[in-house]
Amino acid sequence: MHFFSQAFNYEHPWSHVVIGMWHKYPNSKCSHVISIDTIDRSVDPKTGIIRTERVLGCKQKTPTWIVKLFGGSEDAFVREISFIDPSTQNATITSVNLSLSQFATCFERIQYSPMSHSRTHFTQTAEIQARMTLWRTAADGLERWLVQRFEQNAHLGKLGFTDVLSTLWQERQLQQAQT
Amino acid sequence: MAHSLSPQCTPLKLEYDSCFNTWFEGYLEPAIAAAETPAKREAYSRQKATEFQEKCGKIWESYRDCVSKAVKEKGLDTLLQQARDENPLTEPPLPPSTPSDGLKSS
Repeated sequence: MHFFSQAFNYEHPWSHVVIGMWHKYPNSKCSHVISIDTIDRSVDPKTGIIRTERVLGCKQKTPTWIVKLFGGSEDAFVREISFIDPSTQNATITSVNLSLSQFATCFERIQYSPMSHSRTHFTQTAEIQARMTLWRTAADGLERWLVQRFEQNAHLGKLGFTDVLSTLWQERQLQQAQT
Repeated sequence: MAHSLSPQCTPLKLEYDSCFNTWFEGYLEPAIAAAETPAKREAYSRQKATEFQEKCGKIWESYRDCVSKAVKEKGLDTLLQQARDENPLTEPPLPPSTPSDGLKSS
């Protein structure tokens, strides 16, 4: 498991940052994000909390060995859930990869909260983790297959050498008898 | 605003996004002010949730139909369902300690 985290302040009020969140892309510095779709959204009539579920499409150069090994492609998709709570002035955004998620997960959490009336505090944490259970299953499977192949080959080896030995000595016996 | 994952849905997406943004920009500042009392907050939230549905409900339905088809065509629906099963994220996360709390305690 790998962790990543950073924190800093934006010199803008919280409301401006949160309005800006929806205008973050397209942006020339993050050209890897090529599509964004809202797939679910609700406004809680009691709390006023807005929950948004989006799918982001990214294009990023993937090392060819990763594409070959995991069968991925240059298109990667991410699921993003955000909660905006105006009453506590808190915005949290959680993202997790959809592509290659059977092999590894990248779980990211971003939070925007007011630092003062004109500054917003930003924190970002990410956990990147390979799915060890899957690796273990795959490794166990490979081991089982190797053991089976070994047993089969060992069995055939015994049969084969038995044949070779009996043929060899039968022939030798025959030759001896002739001389 | 970025495109939709399906070019077909992009016009609907842009219309929906701009509907939401207009509504949201009118919503946010008064919502912060309405948080003063729970009663105010609830009254304002209810009124604005209804208004959002009235203003953007129709375009949302067209856009959602388009995008859910596109999600299926890209084979993302099963991955999405797995992600939702694993992490529903239906409730807002607990408010973590704010930086100002940190300052107070130090």
